[in-house]
Amino acid sequence: MNRPPAPPAVLHTPGFAHYSAAWSPFHNTRLAVASSANYGLVGNGRLHLASFGAGPGGMPGLSLDKFYETQDGLYDLAWSETHENQLVTASGDGSLRLWDIMLNDLPIRAWQEHTREVFSVDWSNIQKDVFISSSWDGTIKLWSPDRLHSITTLQAHTACVYQALFSPHQPDVVASCSTDGTVKIFDLRSPSYVPSGPNVNNFTKPLLAAALTIPASGTEILSLDWNKYRPWLIASAGVDKVIKVWDCRMVKIGPEAAQTPAVGGICETQFVGHEYAVRKVQWSPHRAGLLASASYDMTCRIWTTNQTLNGTHLLYIHDPHTEFVMGCSWSLYDEGFLASCGWDCKLNVFRPML
Amino acid sequence: MERVRQLASHLTSASSKDAAALQRKSPDDVVITMAVRSPLCKAKKGGLKDTRSDELMTEMFRQAIARSAIDPALIGDITVGTVLSPSATYEARAAALAAGIPESVPVQTINRFCSSGLMAVTDISNKIRAGQIQVGLALGVESMSQNPDSGGPPPSEEIKAHPAARDCTMPMGWTSENVAGDFNISREDMDEFAAMSFQRAERADKAGYFTHEIVPFTAFVNDPTTGERTKKVITKDDGIRQGTTKEGLLKVRPAFPQWQPARTTGGNASQITDGAAAVLLMTRRKAEELGLKILAKHVTTSVTGLAPRIMGIGPSLAIPMVLSQVGISKDDVDLFEINEAFASMYVYCVRTLGLDPEKVNVNGGAIALGHPLGCTGARQIATGLNELARRNGKILVTSMCIGTGMGAAAVFVRD
Repeated sequence: MNRPPAPPAVLHTPGFAHYSAAWSPFHNTRLAVASSANYGLVGNGRLHLASFGAGPGGMPGLSLDKFYETQDGLYDLAWSETHENQLVTASGDGSLRLWDIMLNDLPIRAWQEHTREVFSVDWSNIQKDVFISSSWDGTIKLWSPDRLHSITTLQAHTACVYQALFSPHQPDVVASCSTDGTVKIFDLRSPSYVPSGPNVNNFTKPLLAAALTIPASGTEILSLDWNKYRPWLIASAGVDKVIKVWDCRMVKIGPEAAQTPAVGGICETQFVGHEYAVRKVQWSPHRAGLLASASYDMTCRIWTTNQTLNGTHLLYIHDPHTEFVMGCSWSLYDEGFLASCGWDCKLNVFRPML
Repeated sequence: MERVRQLASHLTSASSKDAAALQRKSPDDVVITMAVRSPLCKAKKGGLKDTRSDELMTEMFRQAIARSAIDPALIGDITVGTVLSPSATYEARAAALAAGIPESVPVQTINRFCSSGLMAVTDISNKIRAGQIQVGLALGVESMSQNPDSGGPPPSEEIKAHPAARDCTMPMGWTSENVAGDFNISREDMDEFAAMSFQRAERADKAGYFTHEIVPFTAFVNDPTTGERTKKVITKDDGIRQGTTKEGLLKVRPAFPQWQPARTTGGNASQITDGAAAVLLMTRRKAEELGLKILAKHVTTSVTGLAPRIMGIGPSLAIPMVLSQVGISKDDVDLFEINEAFASMYVYCVRTLGLDPEKVNVNGGAIALGHPLGCTGARQIATGLNELARRNGKILVTSMCIGTGMGAAAVFVRD
């Protein structure tokens, strides 16, 4: 943090506040941004496609390639792991749309099953033919781009599910986080249901039993991520402003999980520093202990699980954003490059000096 | 519009993580609908001396069911905090059944020494918060008449060779002298606080404050000549010494002359006592469905560790920890219940934390009422919530030091 940081490459999309950005897993310069008019509170949305490359004067720059209009705000997107030109978006009207960026204007497929805002989508990088969505209706849905309807629906929480992500290590294992303050791990291969009781109607609304429930916070958990190097290590963050790193190796998956739904998770490290709610966390794809976070405090921060020399976990603060930062995404190809985006309608790409 | 409200909640609860935020109500809150206790009676001499620990549990279960106003079959789990009984889980399970709780309701015991009653409440609360159960019962029980505290087993060679580990095997009185010596707590200050505890308890007892938290308890009485056992209902604490003054306490001889500075006495340490307490917890959703009066919600519990040789100062670490966890300051708290294991730690904690003595143990504490180890953590909740309602306060913090070097604290918000 000694040298002054180089200014980020910026893409401004006036009128459209960003909710999420993601780098293509196929092309090292390609980025997509999910955005919404009126800060996503009401009105339409826009999917932006951008390129990161040499700009004027040889400095790295961002350019807008094209965009797609949608009827309602977009909150998240996920690139296909099988098809280099395809990606799926999550929308405020409960719909999911699959886009082919070689085509113009319209999606190639749309699904309308969620009954409230879809807040996250994630494509499996183990079984590359499926993706999941999570919604404020409390469910997680599993989809295949080839099928007209969802493959399965998990009644995961009784409140908003802000994010659901496939494990990068175990097929069919999904983690989710919710308004209810928990992070849950589900094993899709051995679904079991919370037993019926006075307040549980399993006949019409079976609540899926989690393999592990982590009571992560007394307030809403807005984001989580699986560590890319250490299986069963999960970061969670949300309204309590604290990023927590959970060791979940005590989880039992497979048939055992169905018998003994566990509660636990060991909080290994806490990253304290954000001044408002943390909206997004993502582990580095290149370094095991490195984590990026985006927050309502208008900063994007880089943390390490190893303490730095001055005794903290904080490595870097990116603060050019002038509004809430809603998304951040590590480049999959160029180590150390990070994209951040937010309600200032700006996509920033920068390389934090660590 | 629902979407705006949902997104706004990310900021409102973040920017106002304070006493106001703490009082917000949610159907997922873990709430207390009942917190009661037995009379606290002097071990070996008092009203519960002939009542075995399993009989204490049975009677506490029976009273809890009677007071709970719910079908006991709704209880998803029971945790009993108890320290000294060598076969606590046998006793607890059998006592629950004998008291009429259906066999479908499971029971476990928990032991973190003097915090066991609070740990039982915390354990049930966490199970409810995680969605494993909707309703749970927590008990704290101790018969120090039947199970005197005779310390731990002789330590291994490795433990003997480790300074802090070795300290874990030392008697609690030694840790009290360490606190008094290390932090210059004078005998006068200790006896002043101890006398205050007696005077406050005496006043509260005479004013009838405790009648709202004490359930009439059926105890056994052994006839020393015939060995015949009869039953008797007791309703009053019997450890409160009437008319106790600081001057009187100053005359009491040191209890531990072998350890310097020898300021701890029988008058300024917690009494050895028998007692039980019960706390019923459930989600706010369930309490409303059952139409029960909600006393308070349990927000969270913090536990920390420290050097065993000065275990008494545990609350001075645990209280700031739990306050920062929930985002409030000591000034937001209306009432503290800090367990008076010894006056040395009591004086130290109140001074170090800068607490207003008028907010701490206002109806006396363990020096006057007694400290049945496993019971205390649950007993403090019954006493604290009762007083909070009386003075129309909002936030209660209970805390205690824990032998072998730990401290615990919990936050409750009255509904």
